[in-house]
Amino acid sequence: MTLLELQSVTAFYGPVQVLDGVSLSVPEGGAVGILGANGAGKTTTLRSISGTVRAGGRILYDGADIRGKRPEQVAAMGIAHVPEGRGGFGALTVRENLRIGAYLRRDRKGVESDIEFVLELFPNLRERYKSHASALSGGEQQMLAVGRAFMAKPRLLLLDEASLGLAPSTAMTVYDAIAKLRRESGIAMLVVEQNANLAFRLVDSATVLETGRNVLSGTSAELKGMDEIRRAYLGG
Amino acid sequence: MGQFIQLVVDGLSNGSIYAVLALAIVLVNQATGLINFAQGGMAVFSAYITWLLTEHGLSLILAILLSVLASFVLGALVERLVMRRFERGDPDTAVVVTIGLLTLITGICGWLWTYNNQQFRSLFSLTTVSIFGAAVSIRSIGTFAVIAVIMLFLQALFLGTKFGLALRAVAINPKSAALSGLPVGRLLMAGWGLAAALGAVAGALVAPQLTLTPGMMDTALVYALAAVILGGQSSPVGVVVAAWLIGVVENLAAVYVHFIGYDLKVAVPFILTFVVLVVRPQGLFGRKVVARV
Amino acid sequence: MFRSPGLFSRAWVRRAITAIAVIAVLAVPLGFDEYTNQNLARIGVFAVAVLGLNVVMGYTGQVSLGQIFFVGVGAYVTAYGATHGWNIGVVLVASILIPGVIGLLVALAAARLGGLAIAMLTLALPIVGVPLAKRLSDYTGGSQGLSSAFSSAPEWSGLYNDQWQLYVVLVVGGAVFLLTRNLVRGKYGRAFAIVKSNEAVAASMGISPYRYKVLAFTVASLIGGVSGFLYMAVVQFTSPETLSLGHSVTLLASMVIGGSASIVGSLLGGAYYVLAPQLANHVDPNTTELLQGALLLLVLFLLPGGLVSLPRVIARKLRRNRPTGGADRQQSSSGAPARGRKAVEEAPTMSGIPTGRPE
Repeated sequence: MTLLELQSVTAFYGPVQVLDGVSLSVPEGGAVGILGANGAGKTTTLRSISGTVRAGGRILYDGADIRGKRPEQVAAMGIAHVPEGRGGFGALTVRENLRIGAYLRRDRKGVESDIEFVLELFPNLRERYKSHASALSGGEQQMLAVGRAFMAKPRLLLLDEASLGLAPSTAMTVYDAIAKLRRESGIAMLVVEQNANLAFRLVDSATVLETGRNVLSGTSAELKGMDEIRRAYLGG
Repeated sequence: MGQFIQLVVDGLSNGSIYAVLALAIVLVNQATGLINFAQGGMAVFSAYITWLLTEHGLSLILAILLSVLASFVLGALVERLVMRRFERGDPDTAVVVTIGLLTLITGICGWLWTYNNQQFRSLFSLTTVSIFGAAVSIRSIGTFAVIAVIMLFLQALFLGTKFGLALRAVAINPKSAALSGLPVGRLLMAGWGLAAALGAVAGALVAPQLTLTPGMMDTALVYALAAVILGGQSSPVGVVVAAWLIGVVENLAAVYVHFIGYDLKVAVPFILTFVVLVVRPQGLFGRKVVARV
Repeated sequence: MFRSPGLFSRAWVRRAITAIAVIAVLAVPLGFDEYTNQNLARIGVFAVAVLGLNVVMGYTGQVSLGQIFFVGVGAYVTAYGATHGWNIGVVLVASILIPGVIGLLVALAAARLGGLAIAMLTLALPIVGVPLAKRLSDYTGGSQGLSSAFSSAPEWSGLYNDQWQLYVVLVVGGAVFLLTRNLVRGKYGRAFAIVKSNEAVAASMGISPYRYKVLAFTVASLIGGVSGFLYMAVVQFTSPETLSLGHSVTLLASMVIGGSASIVGSLLGGAYYVLAPQLANHVDPNTTELLQGALLLLVLFLLPGGLVSLPRVIARKLRRNRPTGGADRQQSSSGAPARGRKAVEEAPTMSGIPTGRPE
């Protein structure tokens, strides 16, 4: 059952075309990666889904086109976007950040137990529970961003470059925790990542973007075997 | 001793008025990250609404309540129709817009109701009671009580409610807040509306003392801004304490510091602000914001 | 505004045009009646004041509500010096330096705070300035103010007073405009612009935002002092009312309406400052403030570059109405190389909101 399907999505920044027909699909509960170099249109693809960038083509979520919806409407439909740069609320505490993630929920008890789940998943956050988000390390901020998105109880998580600015070992910890989150919650994920090694720890399949177009798609196993992928994104 | 106590109590009462306006400014600042220079002008407009209603025979308390409601709606509309376009742009431009609003609103008041002083009835009685040998007016005590209640209400709103949390989140990172499903536009309107409603209270408290004119709040705005800087821009309690401090210190300085006197006491908040900021740039109660590049 | 290359780019043509313009301007005082000359002189006075404000606010991005204070101090120093028989050169220098020193001291404290604190603290200057001027009555004449007719035309010139005063404004004001133009177009101007657009970037480039903010504020105060000197030369009277908050707000409105970060815009701002109240008074004196507020907001909404950008905006509108507009867009989108895209992808999105200030 397909949860999200992009059909020939286009997007412009001013006069410059950034997306030139991106297509992909994410099955219910699946995890799909978007790989590619800087400027290939990965972030813009996520933004066009979450309604922060105007897009052309079709973006079908649960079979209905969600193009033109405002970000908060998209969020209300069960799509949580962890933006590039983590989108943290620096002057709010860890707890408050998590509660903001659950803004649309009305089930108090569920929210509290999900906060507990996030703290189990990311023990670092438990230690910093009362601190301001701005006081956290980069890795902790990334964990918080993922935790915040999870708090919305989404059906689809859009994850943008979770490894950005993190030490390799930290990035790996973060990705492994997200993979665990995926196993335990069954949330579908669309994962933008420059570091394909990391992405393959999480996703089942992936598509490679170049200058706003899909140039390659396949399962993780297929892609890992390809020479050009290995050369361009796997460091050897 | 009697004079000293009297000065302190009157100072707290004056400070309370600055505090209400300062709280309104903080509210907008919390919701939008902006300093609204038109907050005083909007409060004057609200005071005129109250005055107009009493002129039509309404009781003062009912007039104030209606004016608070009308101000909430007007404040929300100002955000939606005027400020929305500038909120995400350059903050300096947005400040200029609020200065333009101040001019426009003051101009509208002057045009509709002339620049002449209008008498405004006081909510509290002017009779005095004796406390430790000082004659304290019921008005001072009433003003003080009103502001204490408002301050606690706001503190509870910001720190204890989902709505307050959402307001703060929107101010910090509106894009990310939208991604979490927060209705950013409506929250901003609510923030401005609440601030304008607070301004209406400030207007009703200050108008009997100063008599109602379009420029009535200009000086109060200056005090309120000083309280906002001094109190650290974001903490309601800090801002109120700063406003009280300003009210008391300026009263004492006016009497005990020969050079200052009553005419120059308006300089006191700024001298105070200068001294404090040189020592503590984040204000008395503000937290240091660490900017990451 | 002379953008067309070719003829205007030739040095001798430009020099000739400048010479003709200077001669034309210098002939102006002789050709108009007294009322017009006085109005022109006042426009010059406030154009200088707006220019000063532009240095700190338009070019460096620090909102100041205190500019009128420095104009007032300059006027008071001039009046005091002139009535005490100081040499006119000494008067001019003092009327510039004293506001400059005060401005420097204020800036040293205010610029530490950054953000909007400068706007809030500068608001205090006119608010405190008015009672202070009343209090220091030994120097300022208190509420009565000071008058001084030091700027009457000297015998040898054979000019009327209004003509002589307009010449004073043209020469002194012209010099200030020229110096300021060089300042904002040079190395300092570039530093101001970087501080305005992004302080973090400025700091990373080794440009101290603090020092340049202090510098801009001080220069603005110096220029304010010049404006105060000229004010005294033209109006010949100053009182605490000169430095009231209302005037400071009008000065700020004039700067935005004339054109932020623009030399020509400062001239237009001076014209607005002088002429707008006169026009509004014809309608109804009670509406002056209302009209000014409405106009200021209108400009911010529709013409964020101010009146000075009007020709440019109209030209752009005309060009867009021609059918070639669409082709332009096509070309740049399909012709953009991959590297171009890379640069834009990092650009902020969801804005769609103009910053309100071009350049």
